[in-house]
Amino acid sequence: MAEYRAIKIERGSGGFGGPLTVKPEAGKDKLVFITGGGAEPEIVGKIVELTGCTAVNGFKTSVPDEETFLVVIDCGGTLRCGIYPQKRIPTINIMPVGKSGPLAKFITEDIYVSAVGLNQISPADDAAAAASPVKAATPAKEAAPAKAEAVKEAEAKEEAPKREFKYSADKKVSQTLAENSKNSIIQKIGMGAGKVVNTLYQAARDAIQSMITTILPFMAFVAMLIGIIQGSGFGDWFAKMLVPLAGNGIGLIVLGFICSIPVLSALLGPGAVIAQVIGTMIGVEIGKGNIAPSLALPALFAINTQCACDFIPVGLGLAEAEPETVEVGVPSVLYSRFLIGVPRVLVAWVASIGLYPGL
Amino acid sequence: MDIVVNVAEGFMGLFDTGAQTFIGWVSSIVPKVLLLLVFMNALIALIGQERINKFARVCSGNVILAYGVLPFISAFMLGNPMALSMGKFLPERMKPSYYAASTYHCHTNSGMFPHINVGEIFIYLGIADGISTLGLSTTPLALRYMLVGLVMNFFAGWVTDFTTKMVMKQQNIELKNTL
Repeated sequence: MAEYRAIKIERGSGGFGGPLTVKPEAGKDKLVFITGGGAEPEIVGKIVELTGCTAVNGFKTSVPDEETFLVVIDCGGTLRCGIYPQKRIPTINIMPVGKSGPLAKFITEDIYVSAVGLNQISPADDAAAAASPVKAATPAKEAAPAKAEAVKEAEAKEEAPKREFKYSADKKVSQTLAENSKNSIIQKIGMGAGKVVNTLYQAARDAIQSMITTILPFMAFVAMLIGIIQGSGFGDWFAKMLVPLAGNGIGLIVLGFICSIPVLSALLGPGAVIAQVIGTMIGVEIGKGNIAPSLALPALFAINTQCACDFIPVGLGLAEAEPETVEVGVPSVLYSRFLIGVPRVLVAWVASIGLYPGL
Repeated sequence: MDIVVNVAEGFMGLFDTGAQTFIGWVSSIVPKVLLLLVFMNALIALIGQERINKFARVCSGNVILAYGVLPFISAFMLGNPMALSMGKFLPERMKPSYYAASTYHCHTNSGMFPHINVGEIFIYLGIADGISTLGLSTTPLALRYMLVGLVMNFFAGWVTDFTTKMVMKQQNIELKNTL
């Protein structure tokens, strides 16, 4: 048999999980692909080249789990993407799908990687890298017809031994039919369209997720605050206090100045809550006609001069900054906010000339 | 007894107002922002993170690109707070400045493109609501918010270059100026 080599699989753009390092072993060397109604994805050929494993079309042949070292799927996030992770079989999903479907909890980074294309697959060591481009020259070719199929030999239709019945209970008819033609143009279009649809589907799923986890909770929280503030009459009282400040340009500059004072700015920052509450109140006053609408522009800048001052270490961490950079960055940004805060309000005030004329 | 009833009604009244506000937002803001989010997520997935990263590396050579263009595009493509992560392609010394610029970009552009900062949209929306109440269009406000932001966010980043130098001297820490 062929010698087996390890490969490393990373997630592609928009993908989840990985990197996985997998290596076939004797008796556990089957790469099962269960994709696009039996069409073979291009990464299968590459994996076979690199590892020396045997590729098997999972729709045509069922392979015992203990012989399977890797599974390639193109599941859009309904069910299949969780089945093999649940069995702890390393799984590659061609689609950019993360934790999803009824088995989402089994999809973890150590067993699953998604959005995988040719560029995400690389030999795990240099020796393998040197050997990998030799295509189809492995002895496994004669040994296993399935291998020949994997290197895109058009005639390799005789399948691995177990195939007997045409329709099977775990495949759709369309999938069974698709098995009979391999990589035709129609299938390629189908798989391409499937990928686009799946990308959109995943995008929608992510959007719903952030809607539920961040937006709606914040809306509920602010709505409750607004309800209490307005319903109790506190809003009127506080707004009356605020109107002299927000009602003219100079007041807004003072407001911007206060918000940008270092350290105080860090206290006002969290979740932009204070800015959002003040913003909402100014909005109400504008609606009532107590504040000129053109002042909305400088107000937007004035209430937010402290923007993100609480978040500096985290934000710099996101940019992979060194600890020294954070050490310097925190006071540096606090100072720069202080320096730029008032000029921002001023410029915005000037820029508001002609906004909503006649009011 | 009447007092108890009045207190109870007053208490519930507080939440009635809040509930109406909430329903108003859910029916007006949620659908629009949701669809924009879907569109942006899909666009980013189709363009590919790698191409965005490549662009970021080019930007590190020039302050206008680094504090003006890069944070704008990052905010548009990635939103808050992922836009902040693009600072990783800049030298250590530029990272605080990039942070200063990109965090502002996550706000000033959110009037035109609400998907950028859905969690903190009320800074803009709160004020813009007043404009809508008067029956005026909020688009001119959003546009000017963005344009003034474009200019002043760049200066916010640039001025941080100087404060960083100052703090480096204070703390006797030297940050690398190269990648």
